[in-house]
Amino acid sequence: MSPLLSRDDSVRNPLARFLAPTKIESRLLALAGLFVFLYALALTLSPAARERAWDVNYRLVHWAGFLGWAGIFYFAHRQSKRYLPDADPYLLPLAALLSGWGLLTIFRLTTAFGIRQALWLTALGLLLAFGMRLAPELRFLRRYKYIALTGGLLLTALTLIFGANPMGGGPRLWLGCCGVYFQPSEPLKLLLIVYLAAYFADHLPLNTRLLPLMTPTALVTGLALILLIAQRDLGTASLFILLYTVMLFIASGRKRVLIISLLGLTLTGIAGYFLFDVVRLRVDAWLNPWADPTGRSYQIVQSLLAVANGGLGGRGPGLGNPGLVPVTHSDFVFAAIAEETGLMGTMGLLAAIGLFFARGLRIALRAPDQFRRLLAAGLTAYLGIQSLLIIGGNLRLLPLTGVTLPFISYGGSSLLTSFATLLLLLLISSQPEDEPAPLRQSQPYLLLAMVFGAGLLAAALTNTWWAVVRGPDLLTRTDNARRAIADRYVQRGALLDRNEGRITETVGRPGQYERVYLYPDLAPVVGYTHPVYGQAGLEASLDPYLRGLQGNPAKLIWWSHLLYGQPPPGLDVRLSLDLRLQRRADQMLGNHAGAVVLLNASSGEILVMASHPTYDPALLDEQATALTQDPRSPLLNRAAQGRYPCTSLLTGLFAPTVGLTLRPAAPPNAAAVELFDALGLYQAPSLPLPVAAASSPAELPLISPLQAALAAAAYSNDGVRPPPRLAMAVNTPAQGWVILPPLSEPVQALPPESARRVAEERLVAGKPYWEWVGHDSRNGSRLTWYLGGTLPDWQATPLTVVVLLEEENPSLATYLGRRLLEEALNP
Amino acid sequence: MSGILFLVLRILLTAGLYAFLVWAFLLLWQDIRQQAALLALRKVPPLSLVIQREGGPAQIRHFNQPEITIGRDPACECPIKEDTVSARHARLSYHHNQWWVEDLHSTNGTLLNNEPVSTPTVIISNDEINCGKAKLTVLMAGDNLMPPTQQLPAEEKSA
Repeated sequence: MSPLLSRDDSVRNPLARFLAPTKIESRLLALAGLFVFLYALALTLSPAARERAWDVNYRLVHWAGFLGWAGIFYFAHRQSKRYLPDADPYLLPLAALLSGWGLLTIFRLTTAFGIRQALWLTALGLLLAFGMRLAPELRFLRRYKYIALTGGLLLTALTLIFGANPMGGGPRLWLGCCGVYFQPSEPLKLLLIVYLAAYFADHLPLNTRLLPLMTPTALVTGLALILLIAQRDLGTASLFILLYTVMLFIASGRKRVLIISLLGLTLTGIAGYFLFDVVRLRVDAWLNPWADPTGRSYQIVQSLLAVANGGLGGRGPGLGNPGLVPVTHSDFVFAAIAEETGLMGTMGLLAAIGLFFARGLRIALRAPDQFRRLLAAGLTAYLGIQSLLIIGGNLRLLPLTGVTLPFISYGGSSLLTSFATLLLLLLISSQPEDEPAPLRQSQPYLLLAMVFGAGLLAAALTNTWWAVVRGPDLLTRTDNARRAIADRYVQRGALLDRNEGRITETVGRPGQYERVYLYPDLAPVVGYTHPVYGQAGLEASLDPYLRGLQGNPAKLIWWSHLLYGQPPPGLDVRLSLDLRLQRRADQMLGNHAGAVVLLNASSGEILVMASHPTYDPALLDEQATALTQDPRSPLLNRAAQGRYPCTSLLTGLFAPTVGLTLRPAAPPNAAAVELFDALGLYQAPSLPLPVAAASSPAELPLISPLQAALAAAAYSNDGVRPPPRLAMAVNTPAQGWVILPPLSEPVQALPPESARRVAEERLVAGKPYWEWVGHDSRNGSRLTWYLGGTLPDWQATPLTVVVLLEEENPSLATYLGRRLLEEALNP
Repeated sequence: MSGILFLVLRILLTAGLYAFLVWAFLLLWQDIRQQAALLALRKVPPLSLVIQREGGPAQIRHFNQPEITIGRDPACECPIKEDTVSARHARLSYHHNQWWVEDLHSTNGTLLNNEPVSTPTVIISNDEINCGKAKLTVLMAGDNLMPPTQQLPAEEKSA
């Protein structure tokens, strides 16, 4: 490289032979090629990993993009070896890495966009390669600065009249024809930087006072700003303000420029907040995204969820769900990359952007004249600021500005600007033998580097926060659609009755799993799991088992999350329900509104829990709205959640057991409260189901049929009220069926002899059970209660039944209760 | 199985990304080392000054540092005890492959070959520098970077 380097030295330094610029460039390009190749390979295989099978449709289209990318950068490398052998060797490989990564990410998101991006990339790569033949003095740029800038402004102004938006609605920032769209505000950024660099380079030696420097440039920048604001392209507008500030600061070296600009930006921001809905929306979504996660801050919340789902190592190319974030191919491409390559990938991305910035500043400092130095500094600042703005926006570090991520985001105009920047920097750096122009002040460059470095660090820390620290919590949010998607790929556990008959199960194959409700009449109890309406009933409360997150070995859960980002196969749960009796109860209850509970009086196992009217969870898609508005409340589990007056029951059965008299209209006295509390009428039963809230002891209790059944069980069980049980056991891979313990303890509610005496008094002639029937009224409509149970000295399983009808129909209640008891006693 | 193969690919992918970055940073580091080595190798051609104070004997001093300050202050690389010389009078420095002289705002000024020095000026062998009433003659013996055409008169004078 230099005659002064002795042979000795190259022997001592093993890497010295790689230090020639073209060698560095070719080696780094090869490594970038390896990375992009591996990415493409992973993308091809991703459907196999996603569906956990080999017989799948592999992704292949993106290889065309890969070949185009590889060819274009090989050609560009050849050209740079020939025409710019001394140019900075890091820029081209970095641009190759970023654009290849971006191209494949876009292919992964939307194949059609990927093809367009590949075409743009090929065309622009050719322009880049041929542009390397330009004279590195860039005199033409300096000479025609006004013409170029005016052209850019005119094109941008044209969008006010002929503007279009290829995506349909939204700001009309594009000029387009015949399917090709172009956003003039993108190259306008470059033209503004060229103009400012040329103007400052021409005028600085003559005049270092701030005001004369500022007047014409501020006028032109202001004109551009007005255009952008008229277009509602506020992200680009704020970028322009920042760029102008940086250029003016670097050229003049005056700190007051920064202070004035910072004040100006704050004032503009505040004014924008009150003048423009877009600004207010974005600032609000930034300050408090959790307030409206489904509306205004949907994008940012989904972006954070994507980052959280990426975690440390990422889900792998093609295995995440970045499509859930709106406009993920352009503004939110960083979120997509974070989800699929994780924190490890984004750290690498930030490092690559930082390296590009550092090389850009170095090129600026070594530039042979003032114009090229300012130009290089401006271009580097542009790339750095724009990258930080959008990455910060994706990570909720900054309010969202709708700018693209250079080299990576989808869009021909954005790619054009990035490649033009790359070409100019390469040209400026191509004459390292020239002595650098004298530097008046190094401080602005150092400050720029420091601010950018701090920005990168802040982005890295924020990314770590969302991906690793807050990530696991975020992923359990109900608006994380990844849970519903996982349900299609992982088999969910089944719900079984006590004889292992299937109530609800999941069938299909990975990618197409479906929940089947085999016994829909149990819907108010068993509930549903639905991608839109969420979960209810036992499906919700037993979700950790059914989803495989509880009961599986921690190692299996970890491994499954590492491989697929999904939980392991779910576990089956056995319930205490008896489908045979349940079916009888449902048949007899029919169209009558009411509830039936049959339970084992000593163990508390619930054999039947019916609530009518009921619904079919398989039809939720069509009926959900109708169901929530139905005055008959079919979604309500009347047996556990209903709160019914039971004065007849209290005065007729419970109070007389211990010799109390009760006045129905008055608040209960202390003795009555003690009794009702012992019978569990003032407590919500502990069950893995939503249950009715407990009544306050200051009034007579409103109770659910389940509470009534538990209290009645005390009469068949020597005064002991059992704990209710519904989920009996879970089938774990390691230990087989594991019993789930009851959630509360049995309580001695009544003196055994009083309970026994009352049961015998209420004995049904010729039958081994007692019963009690009563009426109550609620809001003018009548209710019928039926309580029954085996006698305490019954030798087989002691049973208790409660029937509640929302009508006056003692004969049906009695018939139902007796039939059920007899069916249960004599199977 | 496909999941495990994919995991291996993911690990390779991340390794590929970091291979790029580590290689880039390694080369940057080596580049810095090489630059430092190059700068360390770059030798300053030795310079000698013949110092003639008014009425005093001629004195010759040899230097091989890249910067020489001339002045009355004994901390200077080339101190001259002479009242007409300022404390820090002038500076000789080597950069851009040349020796340069510049005046450090001295009271009595610096002359190069009887011309006042207002901006840093290149000096060659046998140039005469006047600081106050002291006269310094520059000798660049053994300077192989000197073009031969300019070395000729030097040989004549020394002969």
